[in-house]
This record gives sequence, C-alpha cells and structure tokens, in this order.
Amino acid sequence: ADVTWNVSLWGKRRAFTEHVEKLAEEVKARTNGAFEIKLHYGGALSKSRENLDGISFGAFEMAQFCASYHADKNPTLTVLELPFLGVSDLETEVKVSKALYEHPAVQQDLGRWNAKLLMPSPMPQYNFAGKGDVPASISDFEGMRVRALGGLGKLMEAAGAVPTSVTASETYQAIDSGTVQAAGFAPHAHLSFKVVEVADWWTKNLNPGTVHCPVVVNVDAYNALSDEFKAALDESVDPAIAHYLDTYAAVYDKWWPELENRGITQIEFSDDELASFSEKAGPIHAAWVEEQSANGLPAQEILDMVKKTIAE
Amino acid sequence: MTPFDVGMMMTGVLLVLVILGVRVAFAAAFTGLVGLIIHFSMMQGFERGFMTAIKMAGTIPHSKSVTYALSVLPTFILIGFLAFYAGFTKQLFEAAKRWLGWLPGGMAVGTVFSTAGFAAVSGASVATAAVFARVAIPEMLANGYSKRLSAAVVAAGGTLASLIPPSAILVIYAILVEQSVGKLLIAGFLPGVFSALVYVAIIVGVSAWRGDAPAIKGFTWKQRFESIPGTLPIIAVIAIIFCSFFFGLATPTEAGSLGAFVVLMVAFAKGMKTKQLFQALHETAKLTVMIFTLIWGVLVYVRFLGFAGLPDAFRDFIVALEFSPWLIMICILLAYAVLGMFMDAIGMLILTLPVVYPAVMALNGGEGVSAADSTFGMSGEACAIWFGILVVKMAELCLITPPIGLNCFVVSGVRPDIPVQEVFRGCVPFFAADVLTIAGLLAFPSIITFLPALMG
Amino acid sequence: MTNPDPGGRSDPERPATYIRFDGMLGYVENGFNLIAAFSILSLMLLAVAQVLGRLVLNAPIPGFIDITEQAMAIFAFMGVAYCQRVGGHIRMEIVLGKLHGRTLYICEMLGVILIAFTVALLIWGSWFHFDRSWNFGDSTMDIRLPTWPSKLVIPVALSVLFLRLLLQIYGYARLVANPDRDPVGVPVIHDVEEVAKHEIEEALGDDAGKGGAK
Ligand code: NA
Ligand code: NA
Repeated sequence: ADVTWNVSLWGKRRAFTEHVEKLAEEVKARTNGAFEIKLHYGGALSKSRENLDGISFGAFEMAQFCASYHADKNPTLTVLELPFLGVSDLETEVKVSKALYEHPAVQQDLGRWNAKLLMPSPMPQYNFAGKGDVPASISDFEGMRVRALGGLGKLMEAAGAVPTSVTASETYQAIDSGTVQAAGFAPHAHLSFKVVEVADWWTKNLNPGTVHCPVVVNVDAYNALSDEFKAALDESVDPAIAHYLDTYAAVYDKWWPELENRGITQIEFSDDELASFSEKAGPIHAAWVEEQSANGLPAQEILDMVKKTIAE
Repeated sequence: MTPFDVGMMMTGVLLVLVILGVRVAFAAAFTGLVGLIIHFSMMQGFERGFMTAIKMAGTIPHSKSVTYALSVLPTFILIGFLAFYAGFTKQLFEAAKRWLGWLPGGMAVGTVFSTAGFAAVSGASVATAAVFARVAIPEMLANGYSKRLSAAVVAAGGTLASLIPPSAILVIYAILVEQSVGKLLIAGFLPGVFSALVYVAIIVGVSAWRGDAPAIKGFTWKQRFESIPGTLPIIAVIAIIFCSFFFGLATPTEAGSLGAFVVLMVAFAKGMKTKQLFQALHETAKLTVMIFTLIWGVLVYVRFLGFAGLPDAFRDFIVALEFSPWLIMICILLAYAVLGMFMDAIGMLILTLPVVYPAVMALNGGEGVSAADSTFGMSGEACAIWFGILVVKMAELCLITPPIGLNCFVVSGVRPDIPVQEVFRGCVPFFAADVLTIAGLLAFPSIITFLPALMG
Repeated sequence: MTNPDPGGRSDPERPATYIRFDGMLGYVENGFNLIAAFSILSLMLLAVAQVLGRLVLNAPIPGFIDITEQAMAIFAFMGVAYCQRVGGHIRMEIVLGKLHGRTLYICEMLGVILIAFTVALLIWGSWFHFDRSWNFGDSTMDIRLPTWPSKLVIPVALSVLFLRLLLQIYGYARLVANPDRDPVGVPVIHDVEEVAKHEIEEALGDDAGKGGAK
C-alpha cells in the first residue's frame, strides 16, 4: 500500500464498528489496495477516552469515540446527547449528525484536536431494563436506583430516580443483587452486558436519548491525501453507513425474540406519561444552552438547527 | 526495518535490561518509549515522530492508572497489613490446633488450615508466612515437631494467600486480561482450598510414615467450642468479602474497603496504636505505588508492542505450532516456573501476560469461543479464568523453590535458628504437593471454573 | 554537619551540600507518600460511606466512580520517589548481586541514568497530556469532574522522582570515583536474606525483623 492509516478502536469487532470495517474495504477496492486502512481493536493504540488525544498529535489517523466519555473535550457534540430530542430511528440520527458536522462551530470545536468528523456511529435510543416491580408511570421511578450516566442520569434525577455509580461490566451483578434496580443502555448493550438475563421489564417507548459516537480523522493526514484517495475515502462513507444500518437491523432480529423468550414486560408509556417525562427535559436543554453560550458557543443556534433537522 | 523487527529488537533490549537489574517498571517504560520513538520516526521522520512518541507515552501513566477496577488494590493490601494487628493469627491457629490436632502431624495440619483462613483476609503470601512463622513454629517445636517440617509448612501455607481471595495478584491479572475482577477472585477460592487439602494429605501421609510429627490429643469438645468465638471477627471479614463478590452486593473496591474498615476496627479494639496504623498506611502506600508504577511502566511497553503488532505475531506463531495444545500449555507453565525462580511474581505476570495471554486464548479458539468448539473444552471466559489461576499457582510455587524462594527466606529470617537450606529441604514434599495440585487443576478445570460459572 | 536525615541514613564522610539536598528532598518525598497513604484511607472511608449510603439511606455518593478514579492518581504516583529512594521498585538482582566495587557502581549508575532519561521524557509527555486537558478541556463521564488536577499529579510526582534520580546518579558517581567511600543517598543492594528481613518488618512492624525467636 502507498498509504496506510491506523484506526484506534476499543472492544471487539461488533455491530458498532462494522462501518469502519466496511469503510476500509471500500477504500481498498476504490484504490486497488493503494490506500490501506488498518483497524486496531481492544484499545491497542489508545484507551477510548484518549482517542481524541491520540488524533491530536497524530499517533493514528482515524479513531472512534463517544462524546459523553468526555463532554468537555467536545462540548458541541453533546447537543445530540440531550434528552428527548425526538430522534425516532437511526436514519434520522445519521441525517442530524451530518448536518451537525457541517456547522462551523462544531468543526472548530473538533479542530482544536486536529480532528475532522468523518461519519457518525448512530446508536439506538437508550432504554431502561430493570428488575422488580414494573414502573407503570413516571412516578414509579421515584427513589429507584438506576445506572444512568451524564445527561441521562440528570434526566432520571429530575424524575426522582437515584443515579448510582456502577461500571458497565458490573451492571449485571448490580441489578441481580439489587445494588441498582435498572440500567439504561441501548439494546445491544443490554444484550452484551447480559442485563436481559436478570431484567423483568424494559421501557419500550421511553426513548429518552442516546450517546453520540463519531469516527474522526486527523486533519493533517486527511489533507496530505491525494485527491484520488480523498475522494475514495469520502465516497466510501455512505456505503459504510448503509452497511452499518443493515448490521444494526440484524441486532434487533435477536433483540425482540430475546425479550419474548425471557418473558420481559415491554412497557409502553401513554402519550401523557411521555409528555410529562419530556417536560423534565426542557430545563436540561436550557441549562445546556446557558452553559455552552457562556463558553462562547452559538449554543441556541446549534440546538435550533438540530431540532429543525430532526423535524424535517 | 519493519515495525515487527523493531518490536523484536526492543523486546530483546528489555530482557537484557531486566536481567542486568534495571528496575522492571522503568526498564519497560524505557524500552516502550524508545520503541515508540523509533516506530514513529520511521513513519513521520525523526522530528515529528519523536514528539508523537513522547506525547503518546505521556498519556499512558494517567490513562492506565486511573482505572476504577485497580482501585481495589490498596484496600486489599491494607487489609493484609492490618490483619496481624487485629490478632487474627493466634486465634485461628489456636482453633485449628484444638480441632485438628488429633490427626497425624496435627499441628502442621492446623497450620495449613489457619494459614488458609488468614489467606482469606491477606492478599500477600510473604506476609502470611512471616506472621505464622512467629505464631505456629514455636508451638510445633515445643510439641516435638522437627524444625524442617515446622518451617516448611509455614512457608508453603503462606503461598495460599495469593489464591484465596482477596488477592492483589489476581486483581492485576483480571485487569490486564480485561476479565471480571470479582469472578477471578471467586475462582481462586476452590483451588486455594484444594491446594490446602493436598498439603494436608501430604502432611498426614508423611507424618504417619515418619512418625516425627506427633498428634496432639486431649482437647475436650468444650475447649474446642471455646476456641470458636475468637475466630468470629475473621469469619465476619471473610463473609463480608466473599458475599460481596459472590452475590455482587458490593463492587470489589467497596468490598475491599468494607473488609479493611472492619479489620481496622477490630485492630483498634485489640489495642493497635495510631503509630502502627500510620506504619501500615505507609507500607500500603509504598507497595501500592510500586505496583502501579510497574503497571503503567509495562503498559508503555505494551502500547509500543501494539503499534509494532507483536502480540498478534506471537499469537499466530503459537497457534501455528504443530504440537498438541496441551503440550504447549504445559511448556508455557514450565516457562513460568523457570522465570518465577528468578523474578517477582507480580513483575513476571505483568511483563509476560500481554504477549502470552492472547496466544493462550487463541490456542483455545478465541475470546468468544464456546466450550464445545474450544481446544481445552471451556469457553473463552472460562479459559481466561483457568489460565489466570494456573499462572498464579505457578508464581506461588516459586516462593518455595530455590534459589530465591522468598517465603523460605522469610521463615528462616524470623527463625534464625532454622537455616534456609533446611526450609528448602522441608519444602520438597510441598513442592510435590503443588505439582499434584497443578496437575489436578489442568485435568479438572471445573475446580477453577465452577464457582465463577455460578455467578453468571 | 548534623542535618536530620528522614531516611535514617548516617555516614561519617558526608558531602554536605549533597546531604542537605538529599534531606530536603527526603522531606518532600515523605510528605508526598503521607498524602498517598491518607488518600488510601480516605478512599476506604468513602467506599464504606458509598455502601452504607446506598443500602441504608438510598443515597449513594453521586459520581463515586468518577471521584475514585480521579483520586487514584494520588496514591498511584505521589509515593513514586519515596519508593525509589528506599529501593522499593522491584528488579532482578541475580547479576547485580554478583558484582562488587567499581563495576557494581558503574552498572548501578548507568541503570539510574537510563531511568532518569525515561522519566524526563515522561514528565514532558505527561505535561502535554495535562496541558491538553487544561487548554482544550476534559471531564469525567458521569458528574463531569475536570481531569486536569489529576493529570497534573503525574508530571509533579515524576519531577520529584527525577530530582531523586539526579541525586542517586551523583551518589553513584562519587562511588565510581572512589569505591571505598561509604554509600550515601543510594539504596544499597540487598541479598535475599535482607529482602526477607524487610518483608518481615513490613508484616510485623518495627520491632520485628531482628529475628526474635522467643
Ligand atoms: Na488472599
Ligand atoms: Na524461587
């Protein structure tokens, strides 16, 4: 290969990394193998939290991370993690992510890290799976110990729940033993952290929000690419995302039967209940705008743009 | 030069530095740093590559040390330092003597059981040998036991502390290989008990044959039951720690902290002075920083290996070998036995695992393999746990083998009247017992994997 | 010269300035190790409070994991120079144990120079790591604690270690020049028996380790 790029990923190869796999494949095909993208799993090149650091000084050319791992490293991206934005599916999330990546303030934010946003890794909505009494209404969350980090934790706190520190890998035991009663994850994570094995219920339509996990490239490395390679990379993004969405759909082919087989109650909240839940999100949106405006970001403009794109 | 060549070369440099006596943590950090500089210089030219390497290496100490799972280490170490002041040793030994003294070699049997009990509050093998050398050896000698047996049983019994939870070394293994700390700790429990039982069988057999370790008779049932209350604090601590892990009532750090807190309270109740608490804290801090330095130092080197692609290459090499996987496994364990003769257990594990562990996992059929499709007949996760207990047992074995079996030196140090050669000679039957134990663990992996499997 | 020496070392032929620096640095190291020791005690109490708060009051400490993680930098690093001073970082002494006199001191000095070189570069690198979190911003996942204070601990603690290493290089250099001098400010090599004695002292307290077999 004439050009070799290294990609820093954490964990194993999974649905969450399939777009990067596909991207490497497409780029290789488009350049007849002259541009090679090498994937490094398991945090071999960096811990997930330090992927932006590694990008900033050019230790690797591409990396994936989640905005919520370090909100203050990427304040503009956290807009997509605000609760109750109304993102209903992954396609919408791709659309709004791409729009956000075009915003100059966002590019400037990531530019501090010498990073350019390449593509999102759209994540399904986080929902709660828990053990014990099935919460029929929002008030049933009162006093419930839940594993919910960051913004989701704030939302649950506003609903009267008690956010409790538990690492992801300890969640299964924590729910089993009653250390926490419920945990918020995307469905595939409920599967991989085995929460489904101890859960009695799942909040099917709460859809409070999700995390935003982009793939970025090092700006210098990108600019150093020949026009042909640049085009190959850019043109590979859409097929990569399409492949990713297909893979995620397959995850859900496992998810629904899993819930059925385990007899897990799927809670569908009424519109009234959902409305009273999303009311709690209002102050959180406002607080975000206030904080980020104070940091000199056009926060209201970004939030409005996001909401408008989702509504379109 | 390919990145792989640089990886091999720097690994050679590391070996030479370690053998020459450069402190392991820094020898590894040096090798990793220089390796990164060479690697990035080849990619980006020296000027840019040098800075990239420095910045990459500079992220690792913080990034790798500030990991929640590692926070359990100082709590375990603190428990070990405080357990002596809490008076757990004497009472355990007294109870074990009254209940088990009637067996041939009964005092020695009692020593094994009380070291095993103490192991359940102490994470350090060497410290366990040190405290029991004081308590158990004088009583055994007074009852006509040979110096050789008395000293050896303490040295060998001490090694149980790293298998029976809490165990610092198992925590480090769990974190290095990214497995559940709680499961690894629970997994050590049965093999620890199994080891103890094999020791007991050997003692009873040898004593009955030689007749140099008389049974201690004449304790009434009343006296036996009277010895129980003294052991209640230690049983409480064991229960707290074990239940927390097993039922997931608390995370390892929380359980270790609760245990340390209870031991601290008992120690104060038993008359420990503030000065002694300070000393225990000071020693805990020293040992903690030693372990953390070792961890991040070696991880600088491991990060370089990641860029050089060495672990992948070693894994492919092992998998491509045409020997039986069981033979390869036994060779790996033998290599650990030899290495352990000259190296500290923790240093040995941290230094070798990043390369050896992926190879062992690949040999079994990969991280996600099911028991049915695997080479060793166990799932990826079970294999990770099984291998962990085996290597820790190997590392423990080295504490009683010459030339630098530290436990033997410690026992001889507490008892200058017993020469260290005498302790090593006495350890020969226990060495045989350990070989039997390891064979048993290889043949019946369920001794290791049974309890963690119950945890789900 | 009667400079108090926190390491408890004494020597008839004492290079005065060197001893004074050694002594002052010793105080800093002891202080840092004390901070590390108390951070361990505090972590333990915090975790007990977390468990009790959760089980008894349904009020766990918000962001317990974030707080613990950031505080870990204290006990993972603050004692690093103290540990180097007392020779606590492990190594293999199979080869070194066989050497004597000037050869031994040259080897020891080269070893410490190598460590000092490594530590110097790591101070630089970890400062960059701190600098990014300070200038660009960085925070923890749950309760968004800033990470820069914790990242700053590393270059600071390593700098103290670096000073200690410089002193040790000097300490070995004067022994290389004249191997008959008494060692000052450098850890003397222990054979296995002495290592064992140390372990015993650590396990049983100060009064032990003298081999009292009563
Ligand atoms: Na133990
Ligand atoms: Na040995």
